[in-house]
Amino acid sequence: MGLESNLKEGSLVAARLEDLVNWARRNSTWPLLFGLACCAMEMIAAGTARHDIARYGSELFRATPRQADLIIVSGRVSNKMAPVIRRLHDQMLEPKWVIAMGICASAGGPFNNYAIVQGVDKIIPVDVYVPGCPPRPEALLYGMELLRQKQTGEHFSKYVFTPEQPGAPAEAEQAMAGLAPRIG
Amino acid sequence: MPLLDVSPVDRLYETLPNLDDISIPARAPQPDGETEDTQAIAAAFGDRILAAGLQHNLPFVHVAPADLRDLVTWLRDGELAYTTLIDVTSVDLSELPNPDPDVRFQTVYLLRSLSRHKALFIVCPLPGGDDAEAPSLAGQFPGTIWPEREVMDLMGIRFADHPDPRRILMPAAWPNHPLRKDVPLGGEDVPFSLTWDHPEFDALGDQILDPESLPPDLPPGMNRQNMILNMGPHHPSTHGVLRLVVELDGERVVNVDPDLGYLHSGFEKTGEHRRYKDFVYYTDRMDYLSAMNNNLGYVLAVEGMLDLEIPARAQAIRVIMSEMQRIASHLFWLSTHVLDISGNGMSLLMYATRERERILDLFEMVCGARLTTSYIRIGGVWKDLPEAFLGALSEFCDLFPGRIDEYRDLVKDSPIWRTRLEGVGMVSREDALAMGLTGPMLRGSGVDWDLRRDQPYSGYEQYEFDVPTSDRGDGFGRYEIRMEEMRQSIRIIRQALDRLPDGLYRSDDRKVNPPPRTELDVSMESLIHHFKLFTEGFKVPPGMYYHGIEASKGELGFFIYSDGSGKPYRLHVRGPSFNNLYAISGMSRGLMLSDIITNIGSIDIVLGEVDR
Repeated sequence: MGLESNLKEGSLVAARLEDLVNWARRNSTWPLLFGLACCAMEMIAAGTARHDIARYGSELFRATPRQADLIIVSGRVSNKMAPVIRRLHDQMLEPKWVIAMGICASAGGPFNNYAIVQGVDKIIPVDVYVPGCPPRPEALLYGMELLRQKQTGEHFSKYVFTPEQPGAPAEAEQAMAGLAPRIG
Repeated sequence: MPLLDVSPVDRLYETLPNLDDISIPARAPQPDGETEDTQAIAAAFGDRILAAGLQHNLPFVHVAPADLRDLVTWLRDGELAYTTLIDVTSVDLSELPNPDPDVRFQTVYLLRSLSRHKALFIVCPLPGGDDAEAPSLAGQFPGTIWPEREVMDLMGIRFADHPDPRRILMPAAWPNHPLRKDVPLGGEDVPFSLTWDHPEFDALGDQILDPESLPPDLPPGMNRQNMILNMGPHHPSTHGVLRLVVELDGERVVNVDPDLGYLHSGFEKTGEHRRYKDFVYYTDRMDYLSAMNNNLGYVLAVEGMLDLEIPARAQAIRVIMSEMQRIASHLFWLSTHVLDISGNGMSLLMYATRERERILDLFEMVCGARLTTSYIRIGGVWKDLPEAFLGALSEFCDLFPGRIDEYRDLVKDSPIWRTRLEGVGMVSREDALAMGLTGPMLRGSGVDWDLRRDQPYSGYEQYEFDVPTSDRGDGFGRYEIRMEEMRQSIRIIRQALDRLPDGLYRSDDRKVNPPPRTELDVSMESLIHHFKLFTEGFKVPPGMYYHGIEASKGELGFFIYSDGSGKPYRLHVRGPSFNNLYAISGMSRGLMLSDIITNIGSIDIVLGEVDR
């Protein structure tokens, strides 16, 4: 089995808190229940029995942005919708991630016209772009795998403002890195 | 910062050369034939009719705006019985050769007589140049309120006495009317790699409005004394990005005002900048739950203008695909509807998508795509059916009827399902006709009308099938209809499989379809055809044309105004979801807030088609 079966009662494991938290975050990334266009159908298909997004701990689509970690922009973003998406992203709590699903959300796709924003990355920061029109559910799952790789290497300093203290944090981090086994 | 920059971008193939040598009249071509109906109208109205007759085998009547209301009322109440107004659209004539400076716009109305199986187009040229005004037909047909708002929004034509003259699709602050010919397509050049130093980087993102999103003003007719609730555009149960402003007295619905356009993608304007064969790929993305039906509706409209003969095998394949798509669309409707209503009906979502995945697998087998198929092309279909397909499809046909029974047994006697559907979302027969509803919405109100049977296309007259109707007029009746439609679709597919003809799967007309690769090496003529097709596309004779098909949600129609070039001069889509969604206000008034969710599901909308 895993780590727990080799531990005796009362043993301790030393780990970096960052690793532990990243491990928890990447295995239960809850997406926002939010669909735009064609890609949303494939996003739903990814949630149903055949593709079963629950294998990766992301089956819990939350309807409110305040409970979601990930927004999958699944479809074309119109000029009328753009401010709404921006507001939804603003309402999500940190840490939050964005997947641009499909070519429309990535770069406008076939709709290079007056109505459509040429890529959602003009209004919110995107972590993973999934190509396709629409991407298959497998492609979305692969995109989420890439997102998990990204989540693995994240640092608290990205989210917490700390006044700069040259020297000390880096030394401590090096010392910890030598000691701690990686969990994951 | 400027609000918006829609400056033109230099693109290749923007216009085709040699447009000038085709002599195109500024208005629609004069009629080339007559029917009994146009004769009757001409006899009754005499000089008040500008022209009446057949064009491309469709009856048209040209009438001045002052006489429009009289004519429409007479047609509706007289013995011609044109009881339903299906669509309203408009054309900007200003970029045709020899334009008339006074008559820049014309509106086009499509009326349908369900009892006599006839359709009639009314064309109304509007004097007044840039600032044209048309009479509103909202008094005669309430279903025109939304299509007229769409014309007002996108084309900038005012409607006299319109009850609700607001923009419907574009944001309220939008600076222009995008479908006018002097407004450019817009868009940006998107470079594929950028560095921060790139001069174009600063220009990116100019099209985005400031995030002052929701307009604070109250929709007309709402009372601030009651509770005003905003649903959407981000809401789990509105089936997409639909926004509803709901006025509530306690939990009773007093008024509902839908706000559309959150997925407006400019399909019509884009279509006017694409060659005919290149728009097929866009139709997939309109009603993304029934791509095959969208493909079929569009290609039938273009083929009707070209007078193209389609091989029997291609027609049968089209019918098979179209019916499979209907099943897939209804399955998705069923699963989301149950999910909305029961709150925890995840099991039916899982079961129904299991069957839907099988259909998508079959689509993948024929065209390589699951959702955006683009399989039905102008002149036929893309490729012939693979060998394994027929066996896999008949296996599915054997399996599926049992599965529908299983789903029916899961919900039919559930007290939650019955209480929330029976008597909820009532639409009377008269209202359904006046609002121009189509599809299961119309048949659920007791009107026996199905385009597949009553105005057959693509060889539907060869197949035996029943058209289910219900006199209940409520959500439960529409549920029963859609379940029965899936069974009938299986029946049609079985018949089509049994007598699938051999032969060509696409027309061998070299003006429309490219020659096979082997011919290019030996035939100079084939090489020329190939070159012309891929550099210019084919040209379509000038005139107006409309073709409607029975898609899974209702009548899906494509209106094309051709100027004789390789691109549509005006392309309009009559989306069934758009017209059906208009019924939501009337259906929900007086019910509880939660019944709005039931009604949205029961109408079966797809926002890609509502907003286009």
